[in-house]
Amino acid sequence: MFNIVNKKGIFLSIAALLIVVSIVSLVFQGFNLDTDFAGGLALTYQIDKEFTVSDVQSIVDNALGNDQSPSSIQQSGNEVIIKFGFDNKLETDEARSDFAMAKVAAITSALEEMYGEKTEATAEENPAEGETTDETTEEKPEVTVKGVVLKNQDIVSPSTGRELAKSAVMMSILACIAILLYVTFRFEFTSGVVAILALVHDVVILLGVYSILQWSVDTNFIAAILTVLGYSINNTIVIMDRIRENTRHARKETYGEIANKSIWQTLNRSINTTITTLLTIGMVYILGVPSIKAFSLPIIIGICVGFYSSVFVAGTLWAFWKDSAVKSKKA
Amino acid sequence: MSRSLVKFVAIILVIAALFYVGLYGLDISDSVRFPGILDEDGITQGLDLKGGTVIVYKAQTDNPSDDDMNTVVSMLRTRLDGQGYTEAVLTRQGTDKVRVELPDVQDAQKAVETLGATAQLSFKDPSGAEVMSGKEVKNATAEYGQTQQGMASSSYYISLELTEEGRQKFSVATGELAGKPEGQNFIAITMDENILSMPRVQQKIDSESCVITGEFTPEEAKALAANIKSGQLPFSLEQVEVRTVSATLGDEALINAVKAGIIGLILVLVFMLLIYRLQGLMANFALIGYIAIVFIILANLHINLTLPGIAGIILSIGMAVDANVVIFERIKEELRLGKTVRSSVDAGFNRALSAVIDSNITTIISAVILYFLGTGTIKGFGITLFIGIILSMLSAIFITKFLIKQIIGMNVKNPWFYGVKKNEEIGTAKGGKA
Repeated sequence: MFNIVNKKGIFLSIAALLIVVSIVSLVFQGFNLDTDFAGGLALTYQIDKEFTVSDVQSIVDNALGNDQSPSSIQQSGNEVIIKFGFDNKLETDEARSDFAMAKVAAITSALEEMYGEKTEATAEENPAEGETTDETTEEKPEVTVKGVVLKNQDIVSPSTGRELAKSAVMMSILACIAILLYVTFRFEFTSGVVAILALVHDVVILLGVYSILQWSVDTNFIAAILTVLGYSINNTIVIMDRIRENTRHARKETYGEIANKSIWQTLNRSINTTITTLLTIGMVYILGVPSIKAFSLPIIIGICVGFYSSVFVAGTLWAFWKDSAVKSKKA
Repeated sequence: MSRSLVKFVAIILVIAALFYVGLYGLDISDSVRFPGILDEDGITQGLDLKGGTVIVYKAQTDNPSDDDMNTVVSMLRTRLDGQGYTEAVLTRQGTDKVRVELPDVQDAQKAVETLGATAQLSFKDPSGAEVMSGKEVKNATAEYGQTQQGMASSSYYISLELTEEGRQKFSVATGELAGKPEGQNFIAITMDENILSMPRVQQKIDSESCVITGEFTPEEAKALAANIKSGQLPFSLEQVEVRTVSATLGDEALINAVKAGIIGLILVLVFMLLIYRLQGLMANFALIGYIAIVFIILANLHINLTLPGIAGIILSIGMAVDANVVIFERIKEELRLGKTVRSSVDAGFNRALSAVIDSNITTIISAVILYFLGTGTIKGFGITLFIGIILSMLSAIFITKFLIKQIIGMNVKNPWFYGVKKNEEIGTAKGGKA
């Protein structure tokens, strides 16, 4: 039987290396924050005719003027996502909102002009639809446009993102404290600390992956991280439970031997559970719409990283700590 | 043997019945019925599935008091009702924000403008001095008709009913203004500094009612009347978030998520059957029972189902079998030690219980934190995760154990059915003792 705990040098080094790389990237590169966090305007249009990103770019530039170019335009299938950041000159939320609303109207009508098919509406229900806003008071015949649909429109103030990030950090810290308390109560303090270290490992590496690859980070990413927190602790606890049981029956085994035995006894379970979870969340990722993909990908990464930390890091750390405590007592 | 068979069949039938109720609901009588998830009134879809608009308003003041925020919420409620958005959901978010969810509303602009206004109504004389404010208005209604005799066409206007104090103030002011020359004899009626109308005053008006005319659309007139009636907000609100999701996006997302759920479920069922054989089959029955109960809860407790919420449920299907995996692996270990099937199963369930409970409680801790501290879709995810973990743990422990006991009762005792090879069993048993 391969001794995982004895090879702690390798496994802990890999974990430490990944954490260091992640932290370096987080410090120097940070995140590619999506509209949810950075604040701004994000529009998703479905366009039934064929189009390219550069077509849309020029239509938008024509509609708004070059100085208000969008920060990004992405195409996925028959959808196009147009994003804007907010100008620093816009100081109040009111101003930003007006700025965004004006852009939405201009872009929608420009895209409809280009790709839409106009059809005269038959007897609409609202008879007195004349004066909606001050600018568009000219009487127009009621026309509906097909072929261009504004599917999603997000206008987010930069302050929202900061608060969101703050509440996410708060939730994570609270979750960690609560878990630490519970594990200390049910097991022992060492196990609690080890479980939390394994969690920190998972979250830091997950954050690191997003920072290194500059994948965009939105609200759902926070929910995903918290899911990983909840899920990955599961594996660690099952191993800790086995260690607890084996410690009770142990006579002259070292902590290292106990940890190694426990890891191996629970390995089948760790693998099988990870597989069943990956099967379901993997299907969600494969079949999901973009927002669901964005939610399930970090969970998938987190489950894999969590498997590593539970199997190769948690028990090993526990034994390392326990053994050094014994040594320092003897010394 | 026969007794176990009866119990076994009975529980399978119960699971099948639960699944049916979960899907199609249960009609007990005309008045008492439990909806299933396929019923019209079955699932309360979150905005991201149904389509609609979310607006988050932030108070433009530092540290608004709790009372003020509650006032704002109830006033927004009145305004929303007045404008016909009766399905709107209002929640306070943090200390200084209000989240307004408007299902099915695609045109965010319209809602945003009127809702967040302070609605400070003011009557001013030509010098700009206020003669009367919205406080002196008892009631406001939108009406349709001729506002002046001899006018050719009818239009929408707002009829105000004044308080006694308002009547007096109005009569004094109009009395003074009526004597002024042309050009200085008007009253400007303003709402948040926008002039609504500027009627000329020709004579002293001593009446409990007055009207505001203007070129209003029916919607505008109603919105204005509702805003005047609900009164003035303690401070102005600014929208910090406006999100609109079209219904088509939600439909597409829902269909894909359901597809993913079904395929994921089938994969898990097959996996469990291959690895744990007969025990796996029992776990699969328990899993289907679990899904049925989740359906029933979703449909009857009107839990707001968001897209991450659905993902949470699908994830929970994968996690639901975890408790059984822990238990079965333990049973296999016991079998390999050479114990009988019956005592292995007992020992497996007993010894795995602490691992199952401790690992699930730690996950529950994070689900609870998500539910109480999260907002919007995160909250929805927290609640489904919470329900999922508790139910799956219970079904994995109780339903599976019950079923496995029955098949043991039916004398199915070949360890192969429990996922252990015959020779493996003997070999390890010897090795284990060496």
